[in-house]
Amino acid sequence: MTPSPTNTLPTAPNAPHGVTGDAADDGTDGLRHAIGRLRTARRRRLGFVLGTCVAALAVLGTLGLMLGDSTIAPGNALLAAFGAGDGGDLFIVQQLRLPRVVAAIVVGAMFGLAGALFQSTLRNPLASPDILGIAAGASLGAVSGLLTFGLAGVAVAASAFGGGLAVALAIWFFAWRRGLHSIRFVLVGVGFAYLCQAFMTWLLARADEREAASALLWTVGSVADVRGDDLGILAGGALVLMAGGAAVARTQRPLALGDDNARALGVHVDAARVGTLLLAVGLVALATSFAGPVAFVALVAPAIARRLLSDGSPALVASTAVGALLVLAADLIGNHQVFGVAAPVGIVTGLVGAPYLLWLLATNERKERP
Amino acid sequence: MLTSPSVAPAREVTRTPDRARRRTLVLLGLVAALAATVLASLALGVRDIDPAVVWDALTGWATGAPLPDDQDHRVVVEQRLPRTVVGMAAGAALALAGTLVQGVTRNPIADPGLLGLNAGASLAIVISSVILGVSSPLGFIWFAFAGAAAAALLVFSIGAGRPVRLALVGATVTALLTPLITITLIQSSTAFNLYRTWAVGSLAGVRSAALADLWPFLVAGAVLTAAMAHRMNMLALGDDVATALGQRVGTTRVLSGIAIVMLSGTATALVGPIALIGLAVPHAARRLVGTDYRWITAVAFLLGPVVLLVADVVGRVVMPHSELEAGVVAAAIGAPVLIAVARSRSLAGV
Repeated sequence: MTPSPTNTLPTAPNAPHGVTGDAADDGTDGLRHAIGRLRTARRRRLGFVLGTCVAALAVLGTLGLMLGDSTIAPGNALLAAFGAGDGGDLFIVQQLRLPRVVAAIVVGAMFGLAGALFQSTLRNPLASPDILGIAAGASLGAVSGLLTFGLAGVAVAASAFGGGLAVALAIWFFAWRRGLHSIRFVLVGVGFAYLCQAFMTWLLARADEREAASALLWTVGSVADVRGDDLGILAGGALVLMAGGAAVARTQRPLALGDDNARALGVHVDAARVGTLLLAVGLVALATSFAGPVAFVALVAPAIARRLLSDGSPALVASTAVGALLVLAADLIGNHQVFGVAAPVGIVTGLVGAPYLLWLLATNERKERP
Repeated sequence: MLTSPSVAPAREVTRTPDRARRRTLVLLGLVAALAATVLASLALGVRDIDPAVVWDALTGWATGAPLPDDQDHRVVVEQRLPRTVVGMAAGAALALAGTLVQGVTRNPIADPGLLGLNAGASLAIVISSVILGVSSPLGFIWFAFAGAAAAALLVFSIGAGRPVRLALVGATVTALLTPLITITLIQSSTAFNLYRTWAVGSLAGVRSAALADLWPFLVAGAVLTAAMAHRMNMLALGDDVATALGQRVGTTRVLSGIAIVMLSGTATALVGPIALIGLAVPHAARRLVGTDYRWITAVAFLLGPVVLLVADVVGRVVMPHSELEAGVVAAAIGAPVLIAVARSRSLAGV
């Protein structure tokens, strides 16, 4: 199977160039030495990127705790977040602002990691739950739960989870034909996205006006109302799935080299792909079930992370950090009416993410044209 | 693959009698199917009406006789006839637009909905109704055209040349415009109520007055499509060959673009953003009559109305009291076609 033309994951070629130059001069020892230096440089770069992300998360998170109807000084806000400080601040921070900040970080991290897993295992930088129809399936699950069965709270989340998972399995079933070809997977996903969209519009059209409006808002994606037990379930699930992500991370780099090469390196390609996709679907479905399909984070975060590292790796950890940063920043922007209206986080990420994807598509085309 | 007479006369001669007979049969069969569908659309629904009564009502209406005080006659003439006529017009428009898009982009995965044209028209209509307070179809139509044309320009300029990329750009543009539509709708509950009944793609309650206003655009689009059919055949051989055969490829693209925007913009303004009919019908047509676009266009012109009316009738019969709108049934018919195309072997090289 030849790698798809849309495969533009930055691969190793830029690295070995420098290495071969050294090797010609110094022989095997030189080569080993050069690889060692390269590894150190990469590790340093990864450390720098992750450190910057964490620092930015801390700054934005503190801002999120400080800002609102009543502004709280940074010191007091942090004290209140850890359970100290005076009563009024404590209530505002603990009950209102901290859950929102934590939810934004957790949801963003989940979408970021899921996107990185999808893109590396399907070897397609465009594979994202938004385009694959998994987000649409989760939305359909939630909207039908809200409107048809009158569910609320965790039951809506469960319904969304079921919807996303069902669509993912259906895509799988129909895209499987002697292996999982990535373009086929994407196209079948686009088909399901339209199907789910049509049924969702149908449900919205016959619901009571107020319920329909709240369901419509749900389909945009928001982290404003994830708190208490919901937040606990979300964070717990996220931890379990991320541990799974760490377990499959080892297979992602060989997979990026193509199925045949990965097989030659001893990776069981189909099993690795199935496991990775299940994890990614689980992450997307869980995050979507509580926060709604926050648009394009899963697509954009890995692309940014790969560009920051530019070492040809799938950038799983960096994507997680960048995703968290993106959602936290977008929620701050949307919540504090930077555009003049208080917008749910999904609208902000959609307005930023979609043009970025268009730009990605436009520049990729230019590169491929002879 | 393509055997238009000027390209492969020898093969064409040996296969002509057989193929011509088959194509004629297909066309005759489609005319019969269309007649049957129209009859079903007039006769079936919450109240099933005897075909003979339908015929009486139609002939009575056609001769201009005053409407008798009979419930069945009223239902046929006042409710189902406009609905059927609008369905035929919109179905033909969607199918022809899909055929043109697929021909001009040489792309099996193209359809006005898939390429974001419907989303462009939707956003323009929503903005015009929320911000400018436009409410008549003739007022909508220019916004629908402008929105569809803007989306088409954006999508074609980025995605031209690579089928999968074109579909992805279309999906992205739809994903970009949907939050904009949502945030516009949040501001106005009247617009939201109008929008959600329209966006589902229904033939029920469609204003036949709208068709009276908009039919010139449909006719112009259909005529332009028929005129483009032969050029599509040459274009299928590649831009270079088409140029060598004396065609101005740029002119073909521009004229086709105008026809696509007119047809899909009008259909969207009439019945809402119905996706995937424009995708499914040309594929079925290709299966039936081969790769000659003159025949594909003719078949699509007849098959489009059949599919949309069948979707409408199925929606009426399956859920008699709340109705499954045609747009939903059409998506349920179109999605399997997209999946089948994605599974077909020819896509492996895309």
